[in-house]
Amino acid sequence: MRAEFINPFVSATQSVFQTMLGTTLKRGPLGLKHSHSPTLEVSGLIGLCGKLQGMVIVSVGHDTAIRATATMLGLEVDEVKDEVVDAMGELTNMIAGSAKTQLADYQLSIGLPTVICGKSHSIGFPSGSPPFVIPFDSDLGPIFVEVGIVESPQP
Amino acid sequence: MSNKVLVVDDSGTMRKIITRSLNAVGFNDVVEAADGNEGLAAFQQDSFQLVMTDWNMPNKSGLELTRDIRATGSKVPILMVTTEGEKTRVIEAIQAGISGYLIKPFSADALREKLTSFAST
Repeated sequence: MRAEFINPFVSATQSVFQTMLGTTLKRGPLGLKHSHSPTLEVSGLIGLCGKLQGMVIVSVGHDTAIRATATMLGLEVDEVKDEVVDAMGELTNMIAGSAKTQLADYQLSIGLPTVICGKSHSIGFPSGSPPFVIPFDSDLGPIFVEVGIVESPQP
Repeated sequence: MSNKVLVVDDSGTMRKIITRSLNAVGFNDVVEAADGNEGLAAFQQDSFQLVMTDWNMPNKSGLELTRDIRATGSKVPILMVTTEGEKTRVIEAIQAGISGYLIKPFSADALREKLTSFAST
């Protein structure tokens, strides 16, 4: 996967958390993901297709998901329920959408977000698109963005 | 004129954020819908000063909703609030009949500024 595919997701994630939550994200070193296990407990995922295809996953811990939702909505939230799932889906949607805009030359479309919760859930990426993991640290807790996209086959 | 605003977004989170900003600038009568079909049904039953819609939603998109509203002859202001930021998409939305465009993510100030401009029309 080319760096030009990753950088839009880095800047999109930082922009979304700064703009919607007032939270500055500090990026850690980029890594390759080798297993299907998600890094953390709440994962928002969204598919992309066009001249590129693949998936992006935004994975956070239980407490980070709760804190992010409470900050976004200005409400007290104490457990992962519907509003947390919805907020994680919307954050994932905004990150993918913002990255998509930066990758306009690839004429991408994004799907609707899905959120999976649980300590032992497993998400597989499409074959041929091994994901990179971009770790971030923040006041809300760690945030991992996994990006697995490749160029689509020519018709 | 009605002071009522129709907010159409499949995300309850976004509906809450938008409704809070609407209340802050004086729009206190807000009707929420979770997709374009619900939004069109609500639009046909009431009179609105402003419609705010997401683009990507299940069942009927915000673009389709905009076309459906314009097909009724309505000139109600429609503000598209979406992650679709590419120039070609903005042009597509303008051609469908939107009156304003706000790209997610947006700051509270940016949303308030847009809403204030519609409140004064």
